[in-house]
Amino acid sequence: MSYEDWYRQDRLPHIFCAGCGNGTIINCTLAAIEQMDWKKEETVFVSGIGCSSRAPGYILTDSLHTTHGRAIAFATGVKMANPDLHVVVFTGDGDMAAIGGNHFIHACRRNIDLTVICMNNQIYGMTGGQGSPTTPKGCLSSTTPFGCAETPFDLCELATAAGANYVSRWTSYHVKELEKAVKVGLETPGFSFIEALTQCPTAFGRRNKFRQVSDHVEYLRSHSLLKAKRDRMLENHEQIPEDMYIVGEITRRKRPAMGVKP
Amino acid sequence: MKLAIDETRCKGCNLCTKVCPYKIFKEGKRLNRKGVALPELDRPERCANCRLQKLYGRQLCGVCQLTCPDQAIHWIEEEPYELHKVAIEY
Ligand SMILES: Cc1ncc(C[n+]2csc(CCOP(=O)(O)OP(=O)(O)O)c2C)c(N)n1
Ligand code: SF4
Ligand code: SF4
Ligand code: SF4
Ligand SMILES: [Mg+2]
Repeated sequence: MSYEDWYRQDRLPHIFCAGCGNGTIINCTLAAIEQMDWKKEETVFVSGIGCSSRAPGYILTDSLHTTHGRAIAFATGVKMANPDLHVVVFTGDGDMAAIGGNHFIHACRRNIDLTVICMNNQIYGMTGGQGSPTTPKGCLSSTTPFGCAETPFDLCELATAAGANYVSRWTSYHVKELEKAVKVGLETPGFSFIEALTQCPTAFGRRNKFRQVSDHVEYLRSHSLLKAKRDRMLENHEQIPEDMYIVGEITRRKRPAMGVKP
Repeated sequence: MKLAIDETRCKGCNLCTKVCPYKIFKEGKRLNRKGVALPELDRPERCANCRLQKLYGRQLCGVCQLTCPDQAIHWIEEEPYELHKVAIEY
């Protein structure tokens, strides 16, 4: 058995653009799920709308490809109706943090037993590259032609503040770490949130001076700062560079959770 | 085990050429029928998984496979299993 057995081989190759990081994140998620001893009949993938949200369509289990922003709302329904099911949500930054922002924070508050994997490409990829709530300051998109002037969300801080039991962030470069983080998320009762920063060469990279796909992946690598190192720097009163992404396990705790199998 | 790229899936993003610690994947130059320049394999028998999968009885490394966004990298059985003399530079 290998994680490849979770793919609907007849549906591959998928429609993602060449070099799109979504495929990498699905690989890492399925590799984590493969280690869980879960039956395919007991596992459900739920997503909203967006390129990232097409992921469940390539997986063999039952799945729900729902309406824009509502993946977590549908997943809440599935989990509460049948807590025996393992429910995993694939979502995008636009899907989860813009139109679905309220569903997200309230699922964190309820601490419902879901694992949510957000493919954060910092853009609305599917609809042609509009800015999203996670588009970094200064970045170009079709709705921020002079550079984004707004401060982006830190999705992990948001999930932590709202009450999620497990929160971590990695990138499409850190495949092994991402796989491990998803596995911990799957094992943790309550709401688990894994943010995977990823490249969208078509809508984001093209506009933001990443000529090659690997340039963007290299940027993600070189602009990742391990949480442990960040904490040490804070202790030593060192300045944390503003353009760094904090990666690693951000939160792990045992708040009361909903929907956990008794 | 033998490393292989599925020509029907690879979209030529070249991410595999960046992640392999042995630099087994090299940027390809010739376009195939789909207009994709498939990466070329430079002495793939050096791959940790090719050499040691049988011995350890589990997947080793696998970073290229996890990274490949198009599920194009896999290993095929060699029948009969061929022994390779492998030189690895550190
Ligand atoms: C109610 C509604 N509003 C707007 C849209 C148009 N729409 C489709 S996908 C999308 C954004 C998707 O962005 P994200 O979730 O980041 O996914 P990505 O394509 O980047 O993976 C939008 C605004 C829609 N389908 N439904
Ligand atoms: S538009 Fe961006 S997110 Fe969508 S498939 Fe293409 S690269 Fe991926
Ligand atoms: S990472 Fe995969 S899709 Fe990209 S060039 Fe290598 S084999 Fe092809
Ligand atoms: S499994 Fe590891 S060593 Fe083998 S080709 Fe892939 S990245 Fe290289
Ligand atoms: Mg997006």
